[in-house]
Amino acid sequence: MTNLDHGKFSRVTTMFHSLLALTVFVLFFTGYAIAFNTELWWMVELMGGNRGVLSIHRLAGFALILLTGFWVPYMLIRSASRSNFREVLPDLRADAAAFVQDVKFALGRADERHPNARQFAGYKADEVPLLSYVGKGVIWIFTVELLLLMISGLLIWRKTWLIDFYNSQSVAMAFVAFHGLLGVIMLMGVLFHTFEHGFHPAFYPIEMKAFLPKDQTPNFHGNPDEYETTGIERLRLRPSWRWATNVVAVLVVVGIVSVLVASLDYGGYPVPETLAFNEGSVLRTIGINIGMFVLLLGLLLSVYGNVLRARYLRQRRERAATGTTAADGGEPASRDEPGTSGTDDG
Amino acid sequence: MSQGVMSTGEGMRIFPDVEACIDCGGCVVACKRTWDREIQNQRIDITTMAEGIAGPQGENAAKVDPLIAGENPGETSLPMQCYHCENAPCVSVCPTNALQKEEDGFVTVQDDLCVGCQYCLSGCPFGAPQFPDSNDGSAQLFGTGGIMDKCTGCRPRQEAGKGPACAEECATDAILVGSAGEISDELEKRGSGSFFNDQAMEIIFGEEDAQLFQDYNPDQ
Repeated sequence: MTNLDHGKFSRVTTMFHSLLALTVFVLFFTGYAIAFNTELWWMVELMGGNRGVLSIHRLAGFALILLTGFWVPYMLIRSASRSNFREVLPDLRADAAAFVQDVKFALGRADERHPNARQFAGYKADEVPLLSYVGKGVIWIFTVELLLLMISGLLIWRKTWLIDFYNSQSVAMAFVAFHGLLGVIMLMGVLFHTFEHGFHPAFYPIEMKAFLPKDQTPNFHGNPDEYETTGIERLRLRPSWRWATNVVAVLVVVGIVSVLVASLDYGGYPVPETLAFNEGSVLRTIGINIGMFVLLLGLLLSVYGNVLRARYLRQRRERAATGTTAADGGEPASRDEPGTSGTDDG
Repeated sequence: MSQGVMSTGEGMRIFPDVEACIDCGGCVVACKRTWDREIQNQRIDITTMAEGIAGPQGENAAKVDPLIAGENPGETSLPMQCYHCENAPCVSVCPTNALQKEEDGFVTVQDDLCVGCQYCLSGCPFGAPQFPDSNDGSAQLFGTGGIMDKCTGCRPRQEAGKGPACAEECATDAILVGSAGEISDELEKRGSGSFFNDQAMEIIFGEEDAQLFQDYNPDQ
């Protein structure tokens, strides 16, 4: 009936998404602890101290490479995943038009948003693509960023691979500056991603599509044309949504701005004059710590999503056992597979 | 006090005289004994180039003159350590501020800030950064190098008015300690040159003080 009520991820992708989140959060916490050690001195201690922080960072880096090294070929091998792949490819004309119209909409010069920008806007599923241009953007931007971070990280780890090029101070610094710059840019994406999927009024506090596989998500099987609305008006808005969204929005903006300003303060891009960071300021320290707090919130939400999934699947099993209707009002699904819940909670 | 040590403490520079070094290893022993360093930890080490090869003027002839003339200087020994550079590249590349150029001119490493990324190793043209813990456990597994260790310039000794152990011990006064002016005067008096190229001299002494060494011309 609406694109709010059918699933998006396969079972493997939900697992991959949670493990990727966990790995990326560990990489962020350790990487930022190293780069902004003045402002995040306490995080260095939490992340293994100065003798261990880099080991944990590199261990998480290897985990990320293994994880993506498994998942990407898996997606290419499975025919079902390959067909999904088309949904993810940018539709240059429509997506660009959606972006332009969004800018106009934000400036008050367009009455409504383009269909390709309506992933969350409550339109019927047959009216809008499953993924908005923003959703596609998140996937591709993260893909490129992670790929470049992995490559530059490997080259920092194994300096001798490029020893012929490591013959000037600028080149040596460029690697760290590039890796760090990517990390800063990606932080913006991760904070935005957390805010976008955790604080939409229809999903708050978490969008279950990322945690509940497609085959276990309740689906609408009726004729959408028989209904005037999408049913979004039947959702109850949580009382805490308004203040929580405002608070987190402010924290996201403060976190992003602080990290950006701190990075610029520490030298010019692309190659800073020096990587020796100066004494931190109180404001910058508070700002960067706020950014890290939003990251932590993202990690907690990711864990919470897995808890909710396990809880939901347990309830479905209980209902199936007692013969009541399923959550979507239809027949209880007979495809419940035992042992799927609680395997990767957090 | 060794004749190589002209002044100590604030503003000191440390620099080798390659014409004087005979690769006896006295500086290495003095350093290890003074600071109780383990065998594989080289805060100072002598690098010998073109070992066993005589230059055009025969063995034990001047090294700097043929080098300036573009010829093979023959076997040349060079005590390598931290020169506490004016424009220290290691300080520039350190991502955690563990390396500091102190106000008195010494380059110091803070053990509790170093994460073992080994960027200083890439940055230093003289091989000063050492990683004695790099074979321990997780440091070896993840290639983090442990905590960086290097020549301290014997800062505590210098503050007490003594020269660095290596320079004090050097039988041929091949390690010069003092201000940039004192060192360049001493080299000129001995008829020695700096052996390093202009780029290295600017890193060690800074652009201004590096000029002092360019006045030397062995042909005059």
